[in-house]
Amino acid sequence: MSNVTEFPKGGCVLAGINSVLSAIDRVCPIFHSGPGCCMQTTASDAGQSGHKSSCFVSAVSIPSSNMLEKEVVFGGTNKLRTTIQGAVDIIDADAYFVLTGCTAGIIGDDIASVTNEFFEKGIPVYPIETPGFTGDSNLGYETVWNTFLDKVIEKDVPKDDKLVNIFGIIPYHDPFWSGTLEEIDRILSRLGLKVNTFFTKGQGIETIRKSSGAALNIIVNPWLFKGPAAKYESKFGVPSLRIPGLFVGATDTTKFVRKVAEELHLDKDLVEKVIADEEKYVYSYLGQAIGVLSWKRFAVVADANNAVGFTRYLANDYSFTPVLVIISEPIFRPEDKETIIKEIENLEYARPPKVLFLSDQYEINQAIREEEEEITLLVGSSNDREVALEKDIQFILGAFPMSERLIFNRTYAGYRGSLTFTEDIYDNN
Amino acid sequence: MAKVTYSGVRESKPGRLNDLGSTGQEVSENFKKGCLKRADRSFAQGLQCQQINSLAALMSLEDAVFISHSPQGCVGCSIMAVDMYRVGQIHRGVRNVKNPHLIVSNIDQKSVVFGGEKKLREAVDKAVKRYAPKLAFVFASCASGIIGDDIDAICSDLQTEYPDTLIIPIHCEGFKSKICASGFDAAFISINKYILKHQKVEKEAGLINLFAPTTVSYADQKEMERMLQLLGAKVNYIPFYSSLEKIRKIPAAEASTSICKVFADEFMKTLWEEYEIPYSHTVMPIGIRNTDKWYRGIAKVIGKEKEVEEIIEKEHERIEPLVKKLRDRLAGKRVFICGGTGRSFAAAALIDDFGMELVGLETPTYDDDAQVDIEYLNGIHKEFVVDIANMQPFEQVNLVNKLKPDAFIGVPEWAAKLGVPTTHVLDGKRPTMGYDGLLFLGNKIADQLENPGFNKKLSEHVKLPYKESWYKEDAFKYIIREGGN
Repeated sequence: MSNVTEFPKGGCVLAGINSVLSAIDRVCPIFHSGPGCCMQTTASDAGQSGHKSSCFVSAVSIPSSNMLEKEVVFGGTNKLRTTIQGAVDIIDADAYFVLTGCTAGIIGDDIASVTNEFFEKGIPVYPIETPGFTGDSNLGYETVWNTFLDKVIEKDVPKDDKLVNIFGIIPYHDPFWSGTLEEIDRILSRLGLKVNTFFTKGQGIETIRKSSGAALNIIVNPWLFKGPAAKYESKFGVPSLRIPGLFVGATDTTKFVRKVAEELHLDKDLVEKVIADEEKYVYSYLGQAIGVLSWKRFAVVADANNAVGFTRYLANDYSFTPVLVIISEPIFRPEDKETIIKEIENLEYARPPKVLFLSDQYEINQAIREEEEEITLLVGSSNDREVALEKDIQFILGAFPMSERLIFNRTYAGYRGSLTFTEDIYDNN
Repeated sequence: MAKVTYSGVRESKPGRLNDLGSTGQEVSENFKKGCLKRADRSFAQGLQCQQINSLAALMSLEDAVFISHSPQGCVGCSIMAVDMYRVGQIHRGVRNVKNPHLIVSNIDQKSVVFGGEKKLREAVDKAVKRYAPKLAFVFASCASGIIGDDIDAICSDLQTEYPDTLIIPIHCEGFKSKICASGFDAAFISINKYILKHQKVEKEAGLINLFAPTTVSYADQKEMERMLQLLGAKVNYIPFYSSLEKIRKIPAAEASTSICKVFADEFMKTLWEEYEIPYSHTVMPIGIRNTDKWYRGIAKVIGKEKEVEEIIEKEHERIEPLVKKLRDRLAGKRVFICGGTGRSFAAAALIDDFGMELVGLETPTYDDDAQVDIEYLNGIHKEFVVDIANMQPFEQVNLVNKLKPDAFIGVPEWAAKLGVPTTHVLDGKRPTMGYDGLLFLGNKIADQLENPGFNKKLSEHVKLPYKESWYKEDAFKYIIREGGN
């Protein structure tokens, strides 16, 4: 299901699949698709997510069958076969995944039987038969993990009670994904845990294969990954802890740490020591710049995860006034919307903001234009800058799509990220 | 014989091909003998589809809404045009930078089964109700084409419902062409059919159509306009950053020219055949030789041959001492070039201004036009590899690794990882063209060559994804003669 959308944020399901695969070291996607899909899917996500894209293969370096009229009419499995063969011959990858474009999906090419020819020879080539038109990038994230759960992740991996898997942060879609995963990794490592981020530290397909040995899946997202989480539990016995929104700043990050500690029965003294230490670090800086940022009445336009994090930090930790929060990714299940609203409205002291679910840019702009309460700060994406300029509101580029800044390992998440976020909000005008 | 209407698919022209590995001498001889046959690659990497170009060509037009009748993913690359549009506004001094109005109909499973007409109608309804635009372009996609949505009929029906907005379908289905520049032609065919409608308008003395794609920087626009104004011309700069009014003015012009070789070249032919507007189709004005050639081309069409020689002489007096300095820094260096049709050949001519030696050239298509350029290059450079490829980085790194050039001109991503100094000639934000652009480019190449530290160190830390065995193989191993398309 998808709606007519003005200026959509993100691409099709193929884009989401490509984003995830390209973030895994030495994994090669192969497109069985039309001639533009490699570029389009890289541009729709990685290309608008802080200007970094996979160093391994991305955009026009991804193998592709480039289906033209001939394949549309006669089928493209022969072209796919030679494309896979070429990829296997020249690209030094640990695993290959064949993605299905709209063209291949509509004409009904049997991809799995072609990939099986290779798999039977012991070459790790896997099919992902979810054509582009079936959904958006978010669905792509879940599709990849479902494929891993069905075909890649191993059974009977010895359990490690200190190992955790992190989910919910979509690489090359969330602009701060690397930095966020690194901050989560840093914090959890201090608690004595071993962390599978899957997309940093050069982790590859082998980490994914063995991820069934984890003691806990930590899902940092209010709504994504429900299906794969259930499958992890039923197939591999890995339970999940859902953190219903990104944690930005001391309050929520500490809450996150305590939840994980409770779930895994971690040593209380160690946990409290780490919390005290991290909070001291944050406040040692905040204490040095009191009153430097002027008071703001703010609005946020972002995906649910970041919107929760930004709003709660600015309201709970920084005492800014929340006015309007727009969740700009398509969310269809009413119960997911309820979870998100609850996280945003349940603030410590501040009056709850208005929460809207709008992914159409015209509707987003209208909501901000017509907001009766004054807004003096807007945290949003490159597409939301226009309305901020029009209303003369201070604008912080903090959400996807983000095409006007380069992001390597910067993040607004966690203890340290909140300091970066606060730095960025400073305005000398 | 009835006149054959050009379909907009560039490979429909006889003698044009997209997949070939050769050398300058060999390709030129085989072309002359008519021995070049269409081929294909049994293994390839991703291409750029024509829908990307159709969208990019028009996306900076005022008072327009752009409707992509496709799944959401097909507007991914529009970010490049959106970015150029935004930056273009900043360069033109606009403070409140605007977004283009882009709507995707979001074809989904239901549309695939039942057709996408309902979604397309909803998208057009929204476009009109929200913006009451003068223009609404509807771009086809692979999906809309294969499921068989009749966008012409739907648009024509909607046109009756919304008489104040011109609703214009563009047939840029990705599967129709391997050459992304076909998308430019698809856009111009629709502009002619739905806006100009073969109607003659009153001529405006001295008006010249200057066709420019979105990748041309504002600095380059100003330089091109300056040069044409020196000839006494008034410039209608289209369609980048223009409007319906400026498009309607196209038939009022006395002559046409284009900044890019594969942009509006077919359209300029149509303008000659249907509106009797003469045109100049030469080269991209990058480098002295090409800038002269481009300048003389348009001057001849408007009868300013004498004037242009005077201006060129003056420009040379100003530029040549500066170019000489660059030549001292660059002469004899071996170069590999990869680029689009216009820029790759322009860059090849440019390096001759600097006395550099061409060792390899990668360009997307070979045809009559390319033959002219190759013959010129054969007259200067002894031997160079020709790879007719749209990017295909696997072939490129194989060749660059073997040829070991001193410099690489083109998309830097892969050659940089081999440690070769890289410069790009496609920069939509800074100068590239005309006499002034030449100096900017020359300095860029020379500086990178003298200070190659970044790429050298990068290559020690970052590896390309290819197996070592690939570098020993024939770069053209996957080009097959049979079954080419």
